[in-house]
Amino acid sequence: MADPTVPATVITDEARDWATQPFDQYVTTVSRTDIARFARAIGETNAVYYDAEAARAAGHPDVVAPVYFPYTIRMQATHLVDRADLEPDGSSSADVPPLPTNRAMAGETTIDLGVPIHAGDTITLNKRIVELYEKTGRSGTLVFVKTEFVFTNQDGEQVMREHFTRIYR
Amino acid sequence: MTTDHDVDTMLTIGAPVPDLVRRPDPIDLFTFSAASWLLHRIHYDLPFTTDHDGHPGLLVQGPLQGTYMIQSVQWWLGPDARLRSIAYRHSSPVYAGETLTCGGTITGIDSVEETFDVELWVKTNDGTITTSGTATFAIPPEQIPTEKS
Repeated sequence: MADPTVPATVITDEARDWATQPFDQYVTTVSRTDIARFARAIGETNAVYYDAEAARAAGHPDVVAPVYFPYTIRMQATHLVDRADLEPDGSSSADVPPLPTNRAMAGETTIDLGVPIHAGDTITLNKRIVELYEKTGRSGTLVFVKTEFVFTNQDGEQVMREHFTRIYR
Repeated sequence: MTTDHDVDTMLTIGAPVPDLVRRPDPIDLFTFSAASWLLHRIHYDLPFTTDHDGHPGLLVQGPLQGTYMIQSVQWWLGPDARLRSIAYRHSSPVYAGETLTCGGTITGIDSVEETFDVELWVKTNDGTITTSGTATFAIPPEQIPTEKS
């Protein structure tokens, strides 16, 4: 029988190794079409997202991306992969930590914005796991995985830094 | 100079962010997933979502609700109300076809940094808060009081 004075842990050495692995950088060049597709998906009607002339009139060098556009880059980074690297529920195998559960829910998102993204920018994404911890309560053990995403443009300027926590139960 | 946005709006502490009503349907969920290359089936595969995951409908993406919160400010004040930072969390699931009201309150104004702080929320018709958070936006240039001579 397990020693009740020692809390059960679901974060194994394997899970800790997974969390400390270095992730490859992801680099992509943003097109006007990429921006238009996301802007349409969220219902934006302002011409600065679609029309380069309108964007220039508003002081931009080309069409500008809606503020949360970098989300599409971090999703592509792990999901624009071979079909064999997707889980049965469609999520990316690379995003799933080696835990006894894969039932996940979204925790907190925090975003700090830097300079805007414009069509033609080349964006580099650096990703790392910044926290992996568990909490045990009445409903069982929850595991928190906090990931940092830093997006930088071709001039080395930060466009966004995001922390996203996923909770496994 | 003319603008689509209300230049007479005064940003004051306690002022409400006007309600923004959105009703994301399966097409909205699909286009958001497609544009983001978000492949999780709970956003577009109804039989999987109900039979496998036990939900009553397709789940509205969390980041889409985050976007609605940003839009509740930017569609009010214009894109020059540029987001500086936001933090939010989800407290209740939202299903395709539900009507969402997004709103908030101005909680702080920094005239040196030319930014303002807001509390933002998204709720369903029965009043359930589904996503809430805090954000800081740039004060649009036309909202910054100018010295009068």
